[in-house]
Amino acid sequence: MKSLPVKLGLLFTILCISSFRALALDGAVLIANPGVAAESLSADALKDIYNGKTKYWNGGQAVVIAVLPDKTDAALQQASGMEASQFKTFWQRLAFSGRGQEPKKADDAAALVAYVAATKGAIAIVPADAALTGVKKIEIK
Amino acid sequence: MNLNRSSHKLALSITASIMAACGAQAYDVPLTSINTNLPPIDFHGFISQGFLKSSDYNYLGDTKAGSFQFTEMGINAAFDPFPRTHIAIQGFDYDVGDVGQYQPFLDYASAEYTFNDYVGVRAGRVRRPNGIYNSIQDIDLARTSVLLPQGVYDCRWRDFSASIDGVDIFGNVSLDKAGSLSYEVYAGFVNMTDNGGVARNIQNGLPPAPIGGFDGMDQCEAIGSQLWYNTPVNGLRVGLSGGYIENFGYKITIAPPYGPGDIQARDNIPFGMASVEYIWKSWTFQSEYFSYNVSGNQYAFDARVPISYSSTQMEAWYVGAAYRFNKKFEVGTYYTEYYGDVSQMDNSQQFQKDVALSFRYDPTDWWVLKIEGHLIHGTGLLQDNAVNPVRDQNDNAWFMLALKTTFSF
Repeated sequence: MKSLPVKLGLLFTILCISSFRALALDGAVLIANPGVAAESLSADALKDIYNGKTKYWNGGQAVVIAVLPDKTDAALQQASGMEASQFKTFWQRLAFSGRGQEPKKADDAAALVAYVAATKGAIAIVPADAALTGVKKIEIK
Repeated sequence: MNLNRSSHKLALSITASIMAACGAQAYDVPLTSINTNLPPIDFHGFISQGFLKSSDYNYLGDTKAGSFQFTEMGINAAFDPFPRTHIAIQGFDYDVGDVGQYQPFLDYASAEYTFNDYVGVRAGRVRRPNGIYNSIQDIDLARTSVLLPQGVYDCRWRDFSASIDGVDIFGNVSLDKAGSLSYEVYAGFVNMTDNGGVARNIQNGLPPAPIGGFDGMDQCEAIGSQLWYNTPVNGLRVGLSGGYIENFGYKITIAPPYGPGDIQARDNIPFGMASVEYIWKSWTFQSEYFSYNVSGNQYAFDARVPISYSSTQMEAWYVGAAYRFNKKFEVGTYYTEYYGDVSQMDNSQQFQKDVALSFRYDPTDWWVLKIEGHLIHGTGLLQDNAVNPVRDQNDNAWFMLALKTTFSF
Protein backbone atom coordinates (compact mmCIF):
# COMPACT_ATOMS: atom_id res chain seq x y z
CA MET A 1 0.00 0.00 0.00
CA LYS A 2 1.47 3.37 -1.04
CA SER A 3 2.08 5.94 1.69
CA LEU A 4 0.50 9.41 1.60
CA PRO A 5 3.73 11.18 0.50
CA VAL A 6 4.09 8.73 -2.39
CA LYS A 7 0.46 9.28 -3.43
CA LEU A 8 0.90 13.06 -3.28
CA GLY A 9 4.08 12.77 -5.34
CA LEU A 10 2.28 10.72 -8.00
CA LEU A 11 -0.58 13.25 -8.11
CA PHE A 12 1.90 16.13 -8.45
CA THR A 13 3.66 14.32 -11.31
CA ILE A 14 0.37 13.67 -13.11
CA LEU A 15 -0.62 17.33 -12.73
CA CYS A 16 2.80 18.42 -14.05
CA ILE A 17 2.53 16.16 -17.09
CA SER A 18 -0.99 17.35 -17.83
CA SER A 19 0.28 20.97 -17.79
CA PHE A 20 2.69 20.37 -20.66
CA ARG A 21 0.87 21.24 -23.85
CA ALA A 22 1.34 23.15 -27.04
CA LEU A 23 -0.51 26.47 -27.14
CA ALA A 24 -3.00 27.49 -29.83
CA LEU A 25 -5.05 30.54 -28.91
CA ASP A 26 -8.75 29.89 -29.13
CA GLY A 27 -10.18 32.04 -31.95
CA ALA A 28 -7.50 34.65 -31.48
CA VAL A 29 -4.05 35.69 -32.60
CA LEU A 30 -1.12 37.36 -30.88
CA ILE A 31 0.01 40.70 -32.25
CA ALA A 32 2.78 43.13 -31.37
CA ASN A 33 4.07 46.53 -32.31
CA PRO A 34 6.29 46.35 -35.43
CA GLY A 35 9.23 47.53 -33.36
CA VAL A 36 9.17 44.32 -31.31
CA ALA A 37 12.01 42.16 -32.63
CA ALA A 38 10.49 38.78 -31.73
CA GLU A 39 8.83 36.89 -34.57
CA SER A 40 7.69 34.03 -32.34
CA LEU A 41 7.33 33.20 -28.68
CA SER A 42 7.14 29.93 -26.85
CA ALA A 43 4.09 29.26 -24.73
CA ASP A 44 6.26 29.58 -21.62
CA ALA A 45 7.73 32.90 -22.76
CA LEU A 46 4.24 34.20 -23.51
CA LYS A 47 3.05 33.14 -20.08
CA ASP A 48 6.02 34.88 -18.45
CA ILE A 49 5.01 38.08 -20.22
CA TYR A 50 1.37 37.86 -19.19
CA ASN A 51 2.38 36.96 -15.62
CA GLY A 52 4.72 39.93 -15.31
CA LYS A 53 7.90 37.87 -15.01
CA THR A 54 9.24 39.25 -18.28
CA LYS A 55 8.85 43.02 -18.23
CA TYR A 56 11.18 44.07 -21.04
CA TRP A 57 11.94 42.96 -24.56
CA ASN A 58 15.55 42.10 -25.37
CA GLY A 59 16.35 45.65 -26.46
CA GLY A 60 15.18 47.09 -23.12
CA GLN A 61 11.81 48.37 -24.34
CA ALA A 62 9.09 47.84 -21.76
CA VAL A 63 6.50 45.21 -22.55
CA VAL A 64 3.12 46.94 -22.76
CA ILE A 65 0.22 44.52 -22.48
CA ALA A 66 -3.11 45.56 -23.95
CA VAL A 67 -6.33 43.57 -23.56
CA LEU A 68 -9.78 43.40 -25.09
CA PRO A 69 -12.07 42.47 -22.15
CA ASP A 70 -14.81 39.88 -22.69
CA LYS A 71 -14.03 39.19 -26.34
CA THR A 72 -10.73 37.31 -25.92
CA ASP A 73 -11.06 36.01 -22.35
CA ALA A 74 -10.64 32.36 -23.39
CA ALA A 75 -7.45 33.10 -25.30
CA LEU A 76 -6.17 35.29 -22.47
CA GLN A 77 -6.66 32.38 -20.10
CA GLN A 78 -4.71 30.13 -22.41
CA ALA A 79 -1.85 32.60 -22.57
CA SER A 80 -1.69 33.56 -18.90
CA GLY A 81 -3.14 30.54 -17.13
CA MET A 82 -5.58 32.87 -15.34
CA GLU A 83 -9.26 33.56 -15.84
CA ALA A 84 -10.11 37.13 -16.78
CA SER A 85 -11.05 38.24 -13.26
CA GLN A 86 -7.94 36.59 -11.79
CA PHE A 87 -5.80 38.27 -14.45
CA LYS A 88 -7.27 41.65 -13.59
CA THR A 89 -6.73 41.12 -9.85
CA PHE A 90 -3.18 39.90 -10.44
CA TRP A 91 -2.22 43.04 -12.30
CA GLN A 92 -4.01 45.31 -9.86
CA ARG A 93 -1.86 43.77 -7.13
CA LEU A 94 1.31 44.53 -9.08
CA ALA A 95 0.22 48.05 -9.98
CA PHE A 96 -0.82 49.07 -6.47
CA SER A 97 2.36 47.68 -4.92
CA GLY A 98 4.63 49.55 -7.35
CA ARG A 99 5.77 46.42 -9.14
CA GLY A 100 4.07 46.83 -12.49
CA GLN A 101 1.55 48.66 -14.62
CA GLU A 102 -1.94 47.43 -15.37
CA PRO A 103 -2.63 46.27 -18.93
CA LYS A 104 -4.29 48.85 -21.14
CA LYS A 105 -7.91 48.15 -22.05
CA ALA A 106 -9.54 48.73 -25.39
CA ASP A 107 -13.25 48.80 -26.21
CA ASP A 108 -13.02 47.01 -29.56
CA ALA A 109 -10.59 45.14 -31.77
CA ALA A 110 -9.92 48.07 -34.09
CA ALA A 111 -8.99 50.34 -31.16
CA LEU A 112 -6.78 47.61 -29.71
CA VAL A 113 -4.95 47.08 -33.00
CA ALA A 114 -4.48 50.84 -33.41
CA TYR A 115 -3.08 51.10 -29.88
CA VAL A 116 -0.62 48.27 -30.45
CA ALA A 117 0.43 49.79 -33.77
CA ALA A 118 1.16 53.14 -32.10
CA THR A 119 2.78 51.94 -28.88
CA LYS A 120 6.35 50.76 -28.65
CA GLY A 121 6.65 47.39 -26.97
CA ALA A 122 2.92 46.67 -27.09
CA ILE A 123 1.53 43.16 -27.31
CA ALA A 124 -2.06 41.98 -27.39
CA ILE A 125 -4.40 39.10 -28.14
CA VAL A 126 -7.05 40.00 -30.72
CA PRO A 127 -9.87 38.05 -32.38
CA ALA A 128 -8.64 36.02 -35.32
CA ASP A 129 -10.81 37.98 -37.76
CA ALA A 130 -9.51 41.40 -36.72
CA ALA A 131 -7.84 43.57 -39.34
CA LEU A 132 -4.15 43.65 -38.41
CA THR A 133 -3.24 47.04 -39.83
CA GLY A 134 0.13 48.35 -38.71
CA VAL A 135 0.98 45.44 -36.39
CA LYS A 136 2.88 42.19 -36.71
CA LYS A 137 1.56 38.76 -35.94
CA ILE A 138 3.58 36.74 -33.43
CA GLU A 139 3.70 32.99 -33.84
CA ILE A 140 3.32 30.90 -30.71
CA LYS A 141 5.50 27.81 -30.69
CA MET B 1 -17.10 64.15 15.87
CA ASN B 2 -13.57 65.13 15.01
CA LEU B 3 -13.71 67.98 12.45
CA ASN B 4 -10.73 66.56 10.54
CA ARG B 5 -12.54 63.23 10.10
CA SER B 6 -15.71 65.02 8.97
CA SER B 7 -13.74 66.86 6.28
CA HIS B 8 -12.16 63.65 5.09
CA LYS B 9 -15.51 61.86 4.93
CA LEU B 10 -16.98 64.71 2.92
CA ALA B 11 -14.04 64.56 0.52
CA LEU B 12 -14.48 60.82 0.25
CA SER B 13 -18.16 61.15 -0.62
CA ILE B 14 -17.57 63.87 -3.21
CA THR B 15 -14.72 61.98 -4.86
CA ALA B 16 -16.69 58.75 -5.01
CA SER B 17 -19.63 60.58 -6.57
CA ILE B 18 -17.44 62.17 -9.22
CA MET B 19 -15.87 58.82 -10.03
CA ALA B 20 -19.29 57.22 -10.35
CA ALA B 21 -20.53 60.02 -12.59
CA CYS B 22 -17.50 59.73 -14.86
CA GLY B 23 -17.79 55.96 -15.01
CA ALA B 24 -14.27 55.73 -13.55
CA GLN B 25 -13.04 54.31 -16.87
CA ALA B 26 -9.79 56.29 -16.94
CA TYR B 27 -7.28 53.42 -17.02
CA ASP B 28 -4.87 55.59 -18.97
CA VAL B 29 -4.13 59.27 -18.60
CA PRO B 30 -1.58 59.88 -21.33
CA LEU B 31 0.66 62.80 -20.53
CA THR B 32 2.02 62.40 -24.02
CA SER B 33 -1.18 63.73 -25.55
CA ILE B 34 0.64 67.06 -25.80
CA ASN B 35 4.26 66.00 -26.32
CA THR B 36 4.72 62.57 -27.87
CA ASN B 37 8.41 62.50 -26.88
CA LEU B 38 7.59 62.06 -23.20
CA PRO B 39 7.03 58.59 -21.78
CA PRO B 40 3.38 57.95 -20.87
CA ILE B 41 2.54 58.20 -17.19
CA ASP B 42 -0.08 55.88 -15.76
CA PHE B 43 -2.28 57.13 -12.96
CA HIS B 44 -4.43 54.88 -10.80
CA GLY B 45 -6.17 55.21 -7.49
CA PHE B 46 -8.80 53.84 -5.17
CA ILE B 47 -11.02 54.79 -2.26
CA SER B 48 -12.38 52.20 0.17
CA GLN B 49 -14.91 52.83 2.88
CA GLY B 50 -15.92 50.18 5.35
CA PHE B 51 -18.22 49.61 8.29
CA LEU B 52 -17.55 47.27 11.21
CA LYS B 53 -20.01 46.07 13.83
CA SER B 54 -19.23 43.57 16.56
CA SER B 55 -21.48 41.80 19.02
CA ASP B 56 -18.96 42.01 21.85
CA TYR B 57 -15.77 44.00 22.38
CA ASN B 58 -14.44 46.91 20.41
CA TYR B 59 -12.18 45.45 17.75
CA LEU B 60 -10.49 47.56 15.06
CA GLY B 61 -12.35 50.60 16.34
CA ASP B 62 -15.45 51.39 18.39
CA THR B 63 -17.22 48.51 16.74
CA LYS B 64 -19.73 47.59 19.43
CA ALA B 65 -21.67 50.70 18.44
CA GLY B 66 -20.78 50.27 14.76
CA SER B 67 -17.81 52.07 13.24
CA PHE B 68 -17.17 53.81 9.94
CA GLN B 69 -13.55 54.42 11.01
CA PHE B 70 -12.34 52.05 8.35
CA THR B 71 -11.09 53.92 5.31
CA GLU B 72 -8.27 53.53 2.84
CA MET B 73 -7.37 55.64 -0.16
CA GLY B 74 -4.41 55.74 -2.47
CA ILE B 75 -3.27 57.38 -5.66
CA ASN B 76 -0.27 56.34 -7.70
CA ALA B 77 1.69 57.21 -10.78
CA ALA B 78 4.13 55.06 -12.74
CA PHE B 79 6.19 55.42 -15.87
CA ASP B 80 9.22 54.04 -17.69
CA PRO B 81 11.51 57.00 -18.46
CA PHE B 82 14.40 54.98 -19.90
CA PRO B 83 14.90 51.42 -21.16
CA ARG B 84 14.54 48.84 -18.36
CA THR B 85 13.75 51.60 -15.86
CA HIS B 86 10.51 51.96 -13.93
CA ILE B 87 9.50 54.68 -11.49
CA ALA B 88 6.46 54.35 -9.26
CA ILE B 89 5.03 56.46 -6.47
CA GLN B 90 1.93 56.13 -4.32
CA GLY B 91 0.41 58.38 -1.70
CA PHE B 92 -1.80 56.74 0.89
CA ASP B 93 -4.22 57.74 3.61
CA TYR B 94 -6.15 55.52 6.00
CA ASP B 95 -7.98 55.21 9.27
CA VAL B 96 -8.75 52.09 11.31
CA GLY B 97 -10.18 53.02 14.68
CA ASP B 98 -7.58 55.25 16.32
CA VAL B 99 -4.82 54.14 13.94
CA GLY B 100 -3.86 56.20 10.93
CA GLN B 101 -6.34 59.01 11.55
CA TYR B 102 -6.34 60.31 7.98
CA GLN B 103 -2.78 61.53 7.99
CA PRO B 104 -1.58 61.09 4.39
CA PHE B 105 1.88 59.76 3.76
CA LEU B 106 4.15 58.46 1.04
CA ASP B 107 3.36 54.77 0.68
CA TYR B 108 6.04 53.93 -1.83
CA ALA B 109 8.36 55.85 -4.12
CA SER B 110 10.92 53.82 -5.96
CA ALA B 111 13.11 53.68 -8.97
CA GLU B 112 13.68 50.28 -10.46
CA TYR B 113 16.16 48.97 -12.99
CA THR B 114 15.77 45.49 -14.47
CA PHE B 115 19.02 44.12 -15.85
CA ASN B 116 17.29 41.04 -17.21
CA ASP B 117 14.62 38.54 -16.12
CA TYR B 118 17.04 37.18 -13.53
CA VAL B 119 17.91 40.30 -11.61
CA GLY B 120 16.71 43.80 -11.03
CA VAL B 121 17.09 46.36 -8.28
CA ARG B 122 14.54 48.66 -6.73
CA ALA B 123 15.44 51.50 -4.36
CA GLY B 124 13.59 54.09 -2.35
CA ARG B 125 10.52 53.42 -0.28
CA VAL B 126 9.45 49.97 -1.38
CA ARG B 127 6.67 47.62 -0.38
CA ARG B 128 8.02 44.77 1.71
CA PRO B 129 7.36 41.25 0.35
CA ASN B 130 6.21 38.74 2.98
CA GLY B 131 3.76 36.07 1.94
CA ILE B 132 0.85 36.39 -0.44
CA TYR B 133 -0.63 39.63 0.82
CA ASN B 134 1.89 41.76 2.76
CA SER B 135 2.83 44.02 -0.14
CA ILE B 136 -0.85 44.48 -1.05
CA GLN B 137 -2.47 44.21 2.39
CA ASP B 138 -4.43 47.45 2.10
CA ILE B 139 -5.62 46.98 -1.49
CA ASP B 140 -9.24 45.95 -0.99
CA LEU B 141 -9.92 45.26 -4.64
CA ALA B 142 -7.06 42.73 -4.79
CA ARG B 143 -8.84 40.10 -2.68
CA THR B 144 -12.19 38.54 -1.86
CA SER B 145 -12.41 39.35 1.83
CA VAL B 146 -12.87 42.63 3.66
CA LEU B 147 -10.43 41.67 6.41
CA LEU B 148 -7.40 39.53 5.80
CA PRO B 149 -6.58 37.00 8.56
CA GLN B 150 -5.59 39.57 11.13
CA GLY B 151 -3.13 37.40 13.04
CA VAL B 152 -1.05 37.22 9.86
CA TYR B 153 -1.86 40.61 8.30
CA ASP B 154 -2.93 43.02 11.03
CA CYS B 155 -4.37 46.07 9.29
CA ARG B 156 -3.39 48.26 12.25
CA TRP B 157 0.30 47.42 11.87
CA ARG B 158 0.83 48.56 8.27
CA ASP B 159 3.30 51.30 9.26
CA PHE B 160 5.52 48.52 10.58
CA SER B 161 4.91 45.79 8.02
CA ALA B 162 4.13 47.39 4.68
CA SER B 163 7.22 49.27 3.49
CA ILE B 164 10.92 49.87 4.02
CA ASP B 165 13.21 52.68 3.00
CA GLY B 166 15.99 50.79 1.32
CA VAL B 167 16.85 48.45 -1.49
CA ASP B 168 15.09 45.44 -2.93
CA ILE B 169 16.79 43.03 -5.34
CA PHE B 170 14.40 40.87 -7.34
CA GLY B 171 14.29 38.45 -10.20
CA ASN B 172 12.94 35.32 -11.74
CA VAL B 173 14.91 32.19 -12.56
CA SER B 174 13.46 29.71 -15.01
CA LEU B 175 13.81 26.04 -14.17
CA ASP B 176 12.59 25.10 -17.65
CA LYS B 177 10.01 22.34 -17.33
CA ALA B 178 10.39 22.36 -13.54
CA GLY B 179 8.78 25.78 -13.25
CA SER B 180 10.54 28.90 -11.99
CA LEU B 181 11.78 30.65 -8.89
CA SER B 182 10.83 34.25 -8.10
CA TYR B 183 12.81 36.00 -5.41
CA GLU B 184 13.19 39.27 -3.61
CA VAL B 185 15.87 40.23 -1.08
CA TYR B 186 15.59 43.52 0.75
CA ALA B 187 17.28 45.64 3.37
CA GLY B 188 16.41 48.99 4.77
CA PHE B 189 14.83 50.99 7.53
CA VAL B 190 11.34 50.83 8.98
CA ASN B 191 9.87 54.14 10.08
CA MET B 192 6.89 53.67 12.35
CA THR B 193 4.55 56.48 13.23
CA ASP B 194 3.47 57.47 16.72
CA ASN B 195 -0.18 57.04 15.74
CA GLY B 196 0.33 53.67 14.09
CA GLY B 197 -0.88 50.29 15.28
CA VAL B 198 2.41 49.30 16.90
CA ALA B 199 2.55 52.52 18.90
CA ARG B 200 -1.09 52.14 19.93
CA ASN B 201 -0.42 48.55 21.03
CA ILE B 202 2.49 49.67 23.19
CA GLN B 203 0.44 52.46 24.71
CA ASN B 204 -2.32 49.95 25.38
CA GLY B 205 0.00 48.05 27.71
CA LEU B 206 1.02 51.07 29.78
CA PRO B 207 -0.51 52.21 33.06
CA PRO B 208 -2.77 55.22 32.64
CA ALA B 209 -1.29 58.70 32.74
CA PRO B 210 0.35 60.25 34.68
CA ILE B 211 2.02 57.01 35.74
CA GLY B 212 2.54 55.68 32.22
CA GLY B 213 3.63 57.64 29.20
CA PHE B 214 4.62 56.99 25.60
CA ASP B 215 7.51 58.96 24.13
CA GLY B 216 7.76 57.70 20.57
CA MET B 217 8.87 54.97 18.19
CA ASP B 218 12.43 54.61 16.93
CA GLN B 219 13.55 53.78 13.43
CA CYS B 220 14.62 50.14 13.09
CA GLU B 221 16.45 48.06 10.52
CA ALA B 222 14.98 45.24 8.46
CA ILE B 223 16.41 42.60 6.22
CA GLY B 224 14.50 39.82 4.61
CA SER B 225 13.64 37.79 1.58
CA GLN B 226 10.75 36.21 -0.26
CA LEU B 227 11.12 33.13 -2.43
CA TRP B 228 8.34 31.71 -4.58
CA TYR B 229 8.54 28.39 -6.33
CA ASN B 230 6.18 28.60 -9.29
CA THR B 231 5.61 24.92 -9.92
CA PRO B 232 4.98 23.35 -13.31
CA VAL B 233 1.41 22.75 -12.17
CA ASN B 234 -0.45 25.74 -13.58
CA GLY B 235 -1.64 28.01 -10.77
CA LEU B 236 0.30 26.31 -7.96
CA ARG B 237 3.05 28.16 -6.15
CA VAL B 238 4.79 27.63 -2.83
CA GLY B 239 6.56 30.39 -0.93
CA LEU B 240 8.97 30.94 1.92
CA SER B 241 9.77 34.32 3.39
CA GLY B 242 11.60 35.52 6.41
CA GLY B 243 13.78 38.14 7.87
CA TYR B 244 15.07 40.00 10.86
CA ILE B 245 14.02 43.29 12.37
CA GLU B 246 16.81 44.79 14.43
CA ASN B 247 16.67 47.54 17.02
CA PHE B 248 12.88 47.70 17.14
CA GLY B 249 12.79 50.42 19.75
CA TYR B 250 10.49 52.76 21.60
CA LYS B 251 10.56 55.03 24.63
CA ILE B 252 8.07 54.91 27.45
CA THR B 253 7.78 56.24 30.99
CA ILE B 254 6.72 54.47 34.11
CA ALA B 255 6.86 57.15 36.75
CA PRO B 256 8.41 56.46 40.17
CA PRO B 257 7.66 54.91 42.53
CA TYR B 258 5.86 52.52 40.17
CA GLY B 259 8.77 52.32 37.75
CA PRO B 260 12.22 53.61 36.90
CA GLY B 261 11.04 56.65 35.00
CA ASP B 262 12.13 56.83 31.37
CA ILE B 263 12.62 53.46 29.71
CA GLN B 264 14.18 52.62 26.35
CA ALA B 265 13.06 49.29 24.94
CA ARG B 266 15.01 47.62 22.18
CA ASP B 267 13.89 44.36 20.61
CA ASN B 268 14.93 42.09 17.79
CA ILE B 269 12.33 40.26 15.77
CA PRO B 270 13.16 37.23 13.63
CA PHE B 271 10.17 36.13 11.54
CA GLY B 272 9.23 33.56 8.95
CA MET B 273 6.26 32.71 6.73
CA ALA B 274 5.35 29.67 4.66
CA SER B 275 2.74 30.06 1.93
CA VAL B 276 0.93 27.98 -0.62
CA GLU B 277 -1.51 29.18 -3.26
CA TYR B 278 -3.37 27.17 -5.89
CA ILE B 279 -5.51 28.84 -8.51
CA TRP B 280 -7.54 26.27 -10.43
CA LYS B 281 -10.19 27.44 -12.87
CA SER B 282 -12.47 29.73 -10.83
CA TRP B 283 -11.14 28.50 -7.50
CA THR B 284 -8.41 30.02 -5.36
CA PHE B 285 -6.98 28.05 -2.44
CA GLN B 286 -4.55 29.67 -0.01
CA SER B 287 -2.83 28.80 3.23
CA GLU B 288 -0.09 30.49 5.21
CA TYR B 289 1.77 30.00 8.48
CA PHE B 290 3.48 32.94 10.17
CA SER B 291 5.76 32.91 13.17
CA TYR B 292 7.81 35.61 14.86
CA ASN B 293 9.65 36.21 18.09
CA VAL B 294 9.96 39.52 19.91
CA SER B 295 12.94 39.49 22.25
CA GLY B 296 14.83 42.29 23.82
CA ASN B 297 15.93 44.40 26.70
CA GLN B 298 14.43 47.35 28.46
CA TYR B 299 16.85 49.99 29.74
CA ALA B 300 16.41 52.83 32.17
CA PHE B 301 17.01 55.72 29.82
CA ASP B 302 20.70 56.15 28.84
CA ALA B 303 21.67 53.22 31.06
CA ARG B 304 23.93 50.56 29.65
CA VAL B 305 22.72 47.72 31.81
CA PRO B 306 19.21 46.46 31.02
CA ILE B 307 16.63 46.42 33.78
CA SER B 308 14.60 43.62 32.26
CA TYR B 309 14.47 41.17 29.37
CA SER B 310 11.48 39.67 27.62
CA SER B 311 10.91 37.17 24.85
CA THR B 312 7.60 36.22 23.30
CA GLN B 313 6.95 33.77 20.49
CA MET B 314 3.86 34.39 18.41
CA GLU B 315 2.32 32.45 15.57
CA ALA B 316 -0.66 32.52 13.27
CA TRP B 317 -1.99 30.56 10.33
CA TYR B 318 -4.97 30.34 8.02
CA VAL B 319 -6.54 28.24 5.29
CA GLY B 320 -8.93 29.78 2.82
CA ALA B 321 -10.75 29.31 -0.44
CA ALA B 322 -12.63 31.52 -2.88
CA TYR B 323 -14.81 30.81 -5.88
CA ARG B 324 -15.72 33.28 -8.61
CA PHE B 325 -19.10 32.47 -10.11
CA ASN B 326 -18.93 35.05 -12.88
CA LYS B 327 -17.54 38.51 -13.65
CA LYS B 328 -19.55 40.06 -10.87
CA PHE B 329 -19.87 37.61 -7.98
CA GLU B 330 -17.32 35.88 -5.79
CA VAL B 331 -17.54 34.00 -2.48
CA GLY B 332 -14.71 33.26 -0.09
CA THR B 333 -14.07 31.79 3.32
CA TYR B 334 -11.15 31.27 5.65
CA TYR B 335 -10.33 29.89 9.06
CA THR B 336 -7.50 31.41 11.02
CA GLU B 337 -5.82 31.03 14.40
CA TYR B 338 -3.58 33.53 16.15
CA TYR B 339 -1.54 32.97 19.30
CA GLY B 340 0.00 36.01 20.93
CA ASP B 341 2.14 33.82 23.16
CA VAL B 342 2.69 30.19 22.24
CA SER B 343 3.44 29.39 25.88
CA GLN B 344 -0.20 30.22 26.65
CA MET B 345 -2.08 28.55 23.83
CA ASP B 346 -5.07 27.72 26.02
CA ASN B 347 -5.49 31.28 27.25
CA SER B 348 -8.43 32.84 25.39
CA GLN B 349 -7.01 36.30 26.04
CA GLN B 350 -3.89 35.30 24.12
CA PHE B 351 -5.47 33.57 21.15
CA GLN B 352 -8.02 34.55 18.54
CA LYS B 353 -9.70 32.02 16.26
CA ASP B 354 -11.85 33.26 13.43
CA VAL B 355 -13.96 31.74 10.70
CA ALA B 356 -14.99 34.22 8.02
CA LEU B 357 -17.46 34.10 5.14
CA SER B 358 -17.22 36.79 2.47
CA PHE B 359 -19.32 37.84 -0.48
CA ARG B 360 -17.91 40.13 -3.15
CA TYR B 361 -19.98 41.81 -5.87
CA ASP B 362 -18.43 43.85 -8.70
CA PRO B 363 -21.26 45.92 -10.27
CA THR B 364 -18.73 47.46 -12.66
CA ASP B 365 -15.04 47.23 -13.44
CA TRP B 366 -14.34 50.10 -11.05
CA TRP B 367 -16.73 49.42 -8.15
CA VAL B 368 -16.59 46.62 -5.57
CA LEU B 369 -19.06 45.79 -2.79
CA LYS B 370 -18.36 43.32 -0.01
CA ILE B 371 -20.18 41.88 2.97
CA GLU B 372 -18.53 39.56 5.44
CA GLY B 373 -19.24 37.82 8.72
CA HIS B 374 -16.79 36.62 11.34
CA LEU B 375 -17.39 34.10 14.12
CA ILE B 376 -14.60 34.62 16.62
CA HIS B 377 -13.29 32.85 19.68
CA GLY B 378 -10.77 34.55 21.93
CA THR B 379 -9.65 38.12 22.37
CA GLY B 380 -5.94 37.89 21.61
CA LEU B 381 -6.00 40.61 18.95
CA LEU B 382 -7.97 43.18 20.89
CA GLN B 383 -5.57 46.05 21.29
CA ASP B 384 -7.29 48.63 23.44
CA ASN B 385 -7.83 47.67 27.07
CA ALA B 386 -9.50 50.98 27.84
CA VAL B 387 -12.53 50.13 25.69
CA ASN B 388 -12.42 46.40 26.42
CA PRO B 389 -12.13 46.32 30.20
CA VAL B 390 -13.87 42.97 30.59
CA ARG B 391 -12.88 39.95 28.59
CA ASP B 392 -14.69 36.67 28.66
CA GLN B 393 -12.54 33.96 30.15
CA ASN B 394 -14.89 31.20 29.05
CA ASP B 395 -14.05 31.48 25.36
CA ASN B 396 -17.60 32.23 24.25
CA ALA B 397 -17.95 33.09 20.59
CA TRP B 398 -18.60 36.62 19.38
CA PHE B 399 -19.52 37.97 15.98
CA MET B 400 -18.36 40.75 13.70
CA LEU B 401 -19.99 42.12 10.55
CA ALA B 402 -17.81 43.88 7.98
CA LEU B 403 -19.07 45.88 5.00
CA LYS B 404 -16.88 47.62 2.46
CA THR B 405 -17.11 49.41 -0.86
CA THR B 406 -14.24 50.43 -3.13
CA PHE B 407 -14.04 52.71 -6.14
CA SER B 408 -10.97 52.49 -8.31
CA PHE B 409 -9.61 54.03 -11.48
